[in-house]
Amino acid sequence: MSSMDAENSAGTVDPFESMWEMSNPQPVYKQILEMGPVQCPAEGVAFVAGRAELEAAMKKPDLFSSEGGFLDLGNIRPLIPLSVDPPKHVKYRKILDPLFAPKRMDALEGDIAARFNHFVDTFADRGECHFTNELATPFPSAIFLGLMGLPWEELDTFLRFKDGIIRPGGGLLEEDERKRLQNQTALEIYDYFNGILDDKEKDPQEDILSLFLRTEVDGVRLTREEILDICFLFLIAGLDTVTDSLTCMYAFLGTHPEHRRRIANDPSVIPAAVEEMLRWESPVPVVPRMANTDGEFEGCPIAAGSFVVMMLGAANVDPKEFADAHDVDFDREPNRHVAFGAGVHRCLGSHLARRELRVALREYELKPGIELHYAGGLRSVENLELVW
Amino acid sequence: MKVSVDNDLCTGHARCWSLAPEVFTIDDDGYSNIGTGKDVPPELEEKAHLGIRSCPERALSIDD
Repeated sequence: MSSMDAENSAGTVDPFESMWEMSNPQPVYKQILEMGPVQCPAEGVAFVAGRAELEAAMKKPDLFSSEGGFLDLGNIRPLIPLSVDPPKHVKYRKILDPLFAPKRMDALEGDIAARFNHFVDTFADRGECHFTNELATPFPSAIFLGLMGLPWEELDTFLRFKDGIIRPGGGLLEEDERKRLQNQTALEIYDYFNGILDDKEKDPQEDILSLFLRTEVDGVRLTREEILDICFLFLIAGLDTVTDSLTCMYAFLGTHPEHRRRIANDPSVIPAAVEEMLRWESPVPVVPRMANTDGEFEGCPIAAGSFVVMMLGAANVDPKEFADAHDVDFDREPNRHVAFGAGVHRCLGSHLARRELRVALREYELKPGIELHYAGGLRSVENLELVW
Repeated sequence: MKVSVDNDLCTGHARCWSLAPEVFTIDDDGYSNIGTGKDVPPELEEKAHLGIRSCPERALSIDD
């Protein structure tokens, strides 16, 4: 038992503080669930941890709004469709849903595998790799290059943009310097995609950017600003989350040889294994909402303007929904996890992410002696090294 | 056995289609398009139950 568990079971650490530390979050989720499915530990903040309660809350975008502007990554306008509430949200999803629909993503599987193998080929003969840096980080960006019809040469630009807004300076800068780099990168991102869109306007192709330019909903096209706000979100939501999921899953399998052998012996279990590891790891542990009105939710008074933390990670280990919730069971049926959220904001890229994750499960072992270091915010392993 | 979708609740997880595509079809946007009162042949009833129980939004049901 780690020291964190001991402290938690002794009640000496506030779980609403320690939940942000991501090395071993499931015992903290358990502790929070035992305290109650919905809690307001301080004025102006509420935590929704129960699986049923979270589903109910996420189905009420009129009460729990996504338009709070929590996500400040240097963006100068709200991110589309993440930070938009219905009814406007519906219009954007009508355009975006078909582009990321399951059948369309199935057709991409060959391209996804080819791009994955492009990275594997660079280190396969070496017998070891820095999985986080050499594969998990660049792979999702390479997929988006394909979706957007951009050449491989743009990969470094994508990676620089992503790091520049998500972790400017790699955690080494003072706060004001960090913010300055983030804002500067954000403006570069708008300029970059504006230029690409100009090119696509002149020479339209079948990629998603060209489609954005010509798609109409109810006779109205997306404005240039709306397309830029979608592109900005893709950099955050489409790239980093898959990196996080890959490192979490490979780290889990690296430390659980029996689960790893199961996949090696029976690859047909991979889709179910991906779902179960998404449930257990919950790489996106929380999503934020803002209470729109004064009210009560599940016995908790919540004032208008309150910050409401939807705890996807806790909901995914709620024993009221999941039998033996702390066992990772690839045969779990049903598996109603909410790793991709619930309600109208269900992760747009979930079907793409699933295919990226299924393609990626291969045989390997953790580098002997490595001590995994989990980053906070989104759950991610920063230093995952593998051997084979 | 007949099954139905509540289109106000379906948000396109497509878990039903993934687990039981013979019963649960989806449209080009990825949302269930089975409508109401879709017939399920006896040999597919077990799969239909799994699809219904797996819906994260509880959008699927068996008709009485």
